[in-house]
Amino acid sequence: MATRRSRSRDPIALALAGLPDGASADVRVTHRTWTTIRFANGRIHQPHLERSTHVSFRVAEDGRLGTATSSDLSAVGLAAVRDAARSLAHVAPVEKTFPGFPSDRRAAGRLPAFSESTAALSPERATRIARSILEAARARAPEGRIAGVVIVGAERRRVANSAGLDRTDRFSTAQASVLVDRPDRDPPVSGWSEGGHWDHRRLEAERLGTEAAERVAPSPPAPVDPGAYRVVLRGPAMATALEYLAHLGFGGSGELEGWSCLRRLRGRRIAPEIVDLADDPRSRNTVPFAYDCEGTPTRRTRLIDHGIAGEAATDLVTAGRLGRRRTGHALPPESPWGEWGPMPTRMILAPGDATEDELVRATGTGLLVTRFHYVRVVDPGRGVITGMTRDGTYRIEHGAIAGPVRNLRFTESLLTLLRGISLLGREARIFPTERATSAITTPAAAVRSFRFTSATLF
Amino acid sequence: MEDLVRTALTAADGPGVRYADARVVAPLRMLHLAVQNGRAQALTDAREGGLGVRVRTDRAWGFAGTSELSPSAARASAALAVRLARAAGRAVPGPLRVTDEARVDRGRYATGLERDPFDVPREEIVRLLTDAEASLHVGRDVKSGVASLQAWSETKWFASSEGASYTSRIVQVGAGVSATAVRGANVQRRSAPSSFGGDYRQAGFEFVASLDLPGRADSVGREAVALLDAPACPTGRTTLVLGSDQLALQVHESVGHAVELDRIYGSEAGYAGTSWVPIGELGRLRYGSDAMNVVADATEPGGLGTFGWDDEGTPGQRTSIVERGTLVGVLSSRESAAELGLARSGGTARAEGADRSPLVRMTNIDLLPGDLSREELLEEIPEGIYVETNRSWSIDDRRLNFQFGTEIGRRIVHGELGELVRNPIYSGMGPEFWSSMDGVGDQATWHLWGVPNCGKGQPGQIARVSHGAPIARFRNVAVRGGG
Repeated sequence: MATRRSRSRDPIALALAGLPDGASADVRVTHRTWTTIRFANGRIHQPHLERSTHVSFRVAEDGRLGTATSSDLSAVGLAAVRDAARSLAHVAPVEKTFPGFPSDRRAAGRLPAFSESTAALSPERATRIARSILEAARARAPEGRIAGVVIVGAERRRVANSAGLDRTDRFSTAQASVLVDRPDRDPPVSGWSEGGHWDHRRLEAERLGTEAAERVAPSPPAPVDPGAYRVVLRGPAMATALEYLAHLGFGGSGELEGWSCLRRLRGRRIAPEIVDLADDPRSRNTVPFAYDCEGTPTRRTRLIDHGIAGEAATDLVTAGRLGRRRTGHALPPESPWGEWGPMPTRMILAPGDATEDELVRATGTGLLVTRFHYVRVVDPGRGVITGMTRDGTYRIEHGAIAGPVRNLRFTESLLTLLRGISLLGREARIFPTERATSAITTPAAAVRSFRFTSATLF
Repeated sequence: MEDLVRTALTAADGPGVRYADARVVAPLRMLHLAVQNGRAQALTDAREGGLGVRVRTDRAWGFAGTSELSPSAARASAALAVRLARAAGRAVPGPLRVTDEARVDRGRYATGLERDPFDVPREEIVRLLTDAEASLHVGRDVKSGVASLQAWSETKWFASSEGASYTSRIVQVGAGVSATAVRGANVQRRSAPSSFGGDYRQAGFEFVASLDLPGRADSVGREAVALLDAPACPTGRTTLVLGSDQLALQVHESVGHAVELDRIYGSEAGYAGTSWVPIGELGRLRYGSDAMNVVADATEPGGLGTFGWDDEGTPGQRTSIVERGTLVGVLSSRESAAELGLARSGGTARAEGADRSPLVRMTNIDLLPGDLSREELLEEIPEGIYVETNRSWSIDDRRLNFQFGTEIGRRIVHGELGELVRNPIYSGMGPEFWSSMDGVGDQATWHLWGVPNCGKGQPGQIARVSHGAPIARFRNVAVRGGG
């Protein structure tokens, strides 16, 4: 129980205290601590540390909503953010289907996995992780040029509203990626590895450095004609594809506005039986969190249930507009995906039992793709995206890797990719985006047909 | 705020520290108002603040930022920046060099504006957006209409241990409308003045008023619906004319990013990528045809990349990048310029807010106009395609292979614009594409476009930049219908 003195310093209580009769609001206070250690050309060139606190205040008055944010948590600052939100609400169109802020007062229950030592990791320790990656990569590829990043930190979030909801949440993450390239070769060749975990002790930093170095092909990449190929998509490539599926297929905005590529396919088979995709923010096999940014408890949601398409994600406003229940997928507007509306951010694709060698063997003839680059939406209604391959693309011949090939541009429908999955890898690694705004846990996959539309020079 | 900057600089000292700079941004204001289908899509008013301290030892940089504006937070950030630089220096093989720069002393820069967008009554803005959005709904096929405004105001204090100091206040604003028509899996979007939320300028609300969003909305909605019935863009190699807004994005992706010197040197290799540009050939590398002339101009009135001094205290300047098709300049910071052996930085080290470290960024990268009128540029084309307004964009990690889709295309037949085509996509390789440019529109076809969403760096930073571009003609380009 807060004392009168502590309550008077509680920013959430202060923000909610000044509401007029008839108004309601929710408040979110987020504390972030992030250390980012970038390295390139074999040295640490951009070490960065950031500590910040932000408050987001959303008010509803007469069915009209307005939102304001601030980094000033003083009493004056909180009054200003409340006034700014109210002045927007006063001129907003009426949100007729807004259900009101939830009054969930149930006990919070156990929070998912979190690493205090990761959250408190010193800048020197973060730098040592980066150095261990550099040393591991250098040991395997002394001629290579090494670049990458280590990102370590945590966010603590409290969400409360005038209806009585009051939730505290947090997540921690340690993530790294490493590129080893040989720009002295013509065309240049490169290798890549990445991974992440909610506990920095399980990052396997040295393994990432070694893996990237070992993936640098000894021979120059050969040109290959564009066209449809059987492919093996390694984890990083699958993670990017699934990230776009979250937006184009399972995002609430696409459902509401009619452009979702899965809008007319829900409840129908869109992939083989082996494709089992869930959004599971409480799993220890992702970067877990317990509540969305509106305080709705997160839960496991089946997105593709053994090949059958599930429902789209919603938040408070989207659920009201669609006439559905909220699924706990509200995103903070300041997140990179905030303007895309509610969508799954902790997707886990169930692994199969194949090793990478077995995926390649089963493919017979085709291409092995490590990762994608600069992916963008071409045709949302058909789920078509485009992008480049990067940092390790290889020809598969006679069920074995036959050598590197120059990078290709793909332009393909996510629906075609899903339909074509024939085999899944046994290792499902966690691939967080920067600061784990999203984290995709996925194995590699063998896909029957994937369309490449042009090639580049390297 | 000046005291806070001084406090941070005083604290950013100690054995081995050769340089420090500090920035306070307070407030950084952001207004995002968007009306969609008669309802609020986003009504957000943000007022942020922060302080960043950067230090340099003989071997490495260190940076720490905080949202807390207090002397104790300033001292703590400075101490953390020093710790990071020392820790990073242990893994560095050689010394770190930067250019010497002329010192700005108590400089001041402010956006010239008539009407501060943050002082405009919110009711007036929402009414404007609501009226414009309503006019987008010309039929049942329009499933989504959006009218939006975004504004930013950044007040900044900068000082360095070399004695440089300046303050600035930059105000930027933009607005636009967009209609999405849907029939089955056929999804067509049309936007005005352009995609990415419209057009943007370093200016006041008078710029938004000049866009006449309600006046444009009806035709935007009608074009979105008409695209549903349009044939797919034909496939093949043909003469392509890029509208000014699409050419602006082409410049951004295949010139602007490719000439960032930190990318060329591999600083971004692990994330955004590198560049195909061989820096040893600066001054003689053929980048495109003789018709290609590009400048980086941080002094351009109204540009989103216009400023008094960059985030290292180097003055904004105008630099030639491409002259008659030859690469003659690059974008640089004090560190990257020193690596190239230049005497001075190009003054393009920019940071988003106070809690990010400056990186080499675009300013206003303009393709200069040629001398052909729109009619003259089209009249020599017996058959071709005209495209405008970006819909998708992608380019490889060395900025060579690109593919762009646009919202709308039109057939060109005997020098005249004709039938609409949907989902046009064109692709190519940068140098080959720019070498195929044989006609550049005149000043009447040239427009300064604001691009508010240029991403780079880790942690990610968004820069707002501008690109002036005319319309231009390219020969023998691969085009097709997407989807």
